[in-house]
Amino acid sequence: MATLQYILKRLTLMIPTFLLVMVIIFLLVRFLPGDPALAIAGDRASDADLAAIRDRLGLNEPAWVQFWLFLTNTVQGDLGTSILMRTEVLDVVFQRLPTTAFLTVYAVGLSVLIAGPMAFVAALNRGRWPDTVIRTVFQVGLSMPVFYIGLVLLTFLAAQLRWFPVGGYGEGFVSHLYHLFLPAFTVALYTSAIILRNLRSAIIEVLDAEYVQFARAKGLPNRVILGRHVLRNALISTVTLLGLSIGNLMSGTLVTETVFAVPGLGRLMLEAIFARDYPLIQGLTLTFAVLVSLVFLLTDLFQSSLDPRMRLS
Amino acid sequence: MSDTAVSSSAPSRPSRLQLALGKPGFLIGCLIIALSTLLALMPNVFAPYDPNYIDYLAIRQPPSWAHPFGTDSLGRDSFSRVIHAYRVNMQMAILATVFALVIGVVVGALVGYYRGIADMIFGRVVDAIITFPFLVLVIAVVAVLGPGLINMYIAITMVGWVYYARLMRAEIIAQMGNDYSDAGMVMGYSDRRIIFRHLLPNAITPVLIYWMTDMALAILLGSSLGYLGLGAQPPQAEWGVLIAEGRNFITTAWWLSLMPGIAIVLTGLGFSLIGDGLADLLRPRG
Amino acid sequence: MKRTVMVAALAAATALCTPAMAQERGGTLKFARYDGSRLIDPIYADRNPDIWMVGSLFDTLLRTGSDGSSVVAGLAESHSVSEDGLSVSLTLRDGVKFANGSELTSADVVFSLDRARNLDLSPWAGLLGSIKSVAADGNTVTISLNNPDPTLLSMLATFNTGIVSKAAFDAAEGATDQEKSAAIFASASAGVGSGPFYMCDFEQGASMKFCANDNYWRMGSDGKALPYLESVDFEIIPDDATRILKLQAGEVDVAEFVPFSRVAELEADPKINMNLYPSTRIIYSPINTRDTRADGTPNPLADPKVRQAINYATNKEALIGLVLQGAGKPMTSPLMAAATPMSTGETPLYSYDMAKAQELIKEAGVEPGTEITLTTLAGSADDSTIFAALQQMWSPLGLKVNVEQVDGATRGAKNRSGEFDIHTYGWVNDVNDPSQVVGWLGYHPTRKAVGTGWNNDEFNGLFEAAAVELDPAKRAEQFAKMQDIYAEAAPLLFMYETPFAVAVSKSVEGYVQTPLGNNIFDEASVNR
Repeated sequence: MATLQYILKRLTLMIPTFLLVMVIIFLLVRFLPGDPALAIAGDRASDADLAAIRDRLGLNEPAWVQFWLFLTNTVQGDLGTSILMRTEVLDVVFQRLPTTAFLTVYAVGLSVLIAGPMAFVAALNRGRWPDTVIRTVFQVGLSMPVFYIGLVLLTFLAAQLRWFPVGGYGEGFVSHLYHLFLPAFTVALYTSAIILRNLRSAIIEVLDAEYVQFARAKGLPNRVILGRHVLRNALISTVTLLGLSIGNLMSGTLVTETVFAVPGLGRLMLEAIFARDYPLIQGLTLTFAVLVSLVFLLTDLFQSSLDPRMRLS
Repeated sequence: MSDTAVSSSAPSRPSRLQLALGKPGFLIGCLIIALSTLLALMPNVFAPYDPNYIDYLAIRQPPSWAHPFGTDSLGRDSFSRVIHAYRVNMQMAILATVFALVIGVVVGALVGYYRGIADMIFGRVVDAIITFPFLVLVIAVVAVLGPGLINMYIAITMVGWVYYARLMRAEIIAQMGNDYSDAGMVMGYSDRRIIFRHLLPNAITPVLIYWMTDMALAILLGSSLGYLGLGAQPPQAEWGVLIAEGRNFITTAWWLSLMPGIAIVLTGLGFSLIGDGLADLLRPRG
Repeated sequence: MKRTVMVAALAAATALCTPAMAQERGGTLKFARYDGSRLIDPIYADRNPDIWMVGSLFDTLLRTGSDGSSVVAGLAESHSVSEDGLSVSLTLRDGVKFANGSELTSADVVFSLDRARNLDLSPWAGLLGSIKSVAADGNTVTISLNNPDPTLLSMLATFNTGIVSKAAFDAAEGATDQEKSAAIFASASAGVGSGPFYMCDFEQGASMKFCANDNYWRMGSDGKALPYLESVDFEIIPDDATRILKLQAGEVDVAEFVPFSRVAELEADPKINMNLYPSTRIIYSPINTRDTRADGTPNPLADPKVRQAINYATNKEALIGLVLQGAGKPMTSPLMAAATPMSTGETPLYSYDMAKAQELIKEAGVEPGTEITLTTLAGSADDSTIFAALQQMWSPLGLKVNVEQVDGATRGAKNRSGEFDIHTYGWVNDVNDPSQVVGWLGYHPTRKAVGTGWNNDEFNGLFEAAAVELDPAKRAEQFAKMQDIYAEAAPLLFMYETPFAVAVSKSVEGYVQTPLGNNIFDEASVNR
């Protein structure tokens, strides 16, 4: 019951946030230089054509009328028609969303697989050479520019060695895994470095905690201590971190999708901005905002369900 | 973020420097950044050629003694271009973060101290801004203002200050629980004095540590935008732009993109090593 | 130009001359595109990625001959123009079917042409402005005109007069023609066109698939109906480097828009044919010719002498070497690519002549240190090279060139409002006739002579006269005169023509990109 109340409260709190988000998007998009009518009609259109299109799009209405329309339409689930795609924005978003979601989850999965064991090794060897080596390697990963690494991996692992396909998304789950391995790995290079840092210190914190020291003193085997206390703590802190950095993860996919020719939301966003596709930009930013908010909420719920000390408030 | 969220503690001055000297990572970081700064300040001393000098007869030459990093598609000396890019990219690390830092610290301190309605509004603004993926918002702002370095700094600042402010606010609130701030109030000090003389110096440590990480991020972000054509504009030498220029020649003229790539990694590494070192040094020990 | 392979001509020649021989049939051609189609409908296609695909899905009444300028039979097996030039009658081929097997009738032709010339619908309707009415009688279609129109036959061989099925539009969901068209396109329907292929799958902005139309009427070299291919798979890969990697990895058979800097490398690849198809693409820069700039300050470029001077001071060969790695040629006609009918001039315009340029600048009395802003596309490597080169080339004239980098949408807006000095631009013909490009570049009422503000009464008069001149010789004379006037006035910085650089796997034969840019898969085949 408490959980349900909490969710309701959080969802209510999202309303003013989303209002503000919509104001920000609306203002940003209105200030974009370049005429959307021009984007629709092309450089060769006559001035009269442009005026007609502006009229049709309601761009001649006062700003507040346009905002009101945007708001009421959005609430009714109508995000408008994309100029670029000539289809409903919502349809385009739903068409591309699975790709980006798949890529994001895949990248997170890979990062955890890479960073998890390494963090344990580093924490258990704190201050000794394995710790130093692992931390340095991941530190380098953190500083790697996604766009360059992506290109290098593509050139050598995909085009020359033919281990992986060059871009695309594939058909079916296994094919997705295969096609998206390189992009996911590229994102994971960065994400795993963040996870490792956090996880390592979380593990050390637990190992140093009094109750663990006590358990040790009691003679409990390391395996039990690790399983009972450390793993759980590590999981909580990792999930929290991942939840909070979901925005950064999606930023990462934006560049990655462009380099790897993955047809997802990030690449679409860039195309929409370059094409001055107002409705699509609005729809996409709103989608990102909703996704991130939901992930934040899920993170909090997950956290509290694992850690009874965390009160939902 | 939790890995940098450190609360400051009573300093133990004499051992700090010794501790720092005992940390190779921190030292290496300082060394890298010191060297990078030197290159950024005096690129002409280190670069053998004019970075924009076009030589039609020396297109995409492999590395040699005359051109240690080879030449690019217009026959320009890649080494000189990478060196001159240090100025742009180091500037990026500073200019893309320092205004966000100042704005964030002031706003964060004020809303943390006064709370009330301003704090509530602040909370909503923070929520709204952090629900956007960072890059999406920055790219949208850059698109509004037009591509280019200055507009990129403005865009990153407009989004980035929130992260500093959030951190600062949390620290100020934590500090206010301490006795000395109450003592200040009892002694009748002005709000300004309490905030800026007492609370801020104690609360700023984690913000400074975050700043180091953020500078590394700023270089990555700035060069990503350069790569996408939204940041620094060619023929300006900037690492992201240089990589973009070399992306068609990864197999045939690998030096074009590899050298700026290494420069990005090294500089980023420098900043994060310093950040890590600082976090370790300033973290309460016990 | 030694690299330029005249593939189009060669392919056409082989198709005509070779006797029936074993022709590889079936298979899928995989094609990596730089940008996707949004809506392939003859009348709505307004971007090159759309326009260039229309011909694969829709047939036109007439076709452009293999010489690139004559008109030959298409859906109409014969046509005749009346004495007075006011009516054209066409006889339809028997038994032509749409891809879903339904009959193509003269009613479909009337419907399609009426749609194409509807000013409320099509951005291209103006090109058919001379048509008064279209009527059908059995398998004969008669087009009545308001005035003689020398371009009409070319227009009937152009994408926007492609024939669509009336039944498909009647059946489609939607209240307006636009909605119906979008619905047909989205459902990847086979019943709308009679071209060699129909669109059988489509994912907006990501991929597209064309499947062979089993009812296509044209015959291949083996005596059986075209096309040879079973299907064409398109994948959109905007990044140049990735697109080429895909080809090198063998994941696609064709990669279009290869950057010129990589042509040499791909030519050396034993598995790849690096084709440079001749095109009507010209790269030029409009110059603001108004007396004052948009901000009210005097405009040094208003003086034709200054514009001539910068044209003389621009070393086109050097520019072509830098930007295109030699794969291009200087413009020889000021108004069109050399491949356009009625283009004049054999020698490059304004060949590099610094002495003359300096003399002209002196005559014009331009102060040394005068600043000129070049507006370029942000993030474009070509444009940044052009800027760096022009800055260097024009400095002996005492001109200081600044750069202003904007994105495409902003550049378009600036061109319209006249808030620029000089900006980079490009053009590819859509119609096999000079009137379109000449109207765009020089005829003031169209779009202020490509935004330059140049307005010459004699030129405008000639253009209007040529629009109704039926005598080809006289018309060619009028266009020659217009080209002379335009070259002299120099409202543009005349730069160069570039071919279409397309890298094709050696296993592919018969794929062609025409000078207008159309992608032709009719006679393409793959040997796996």
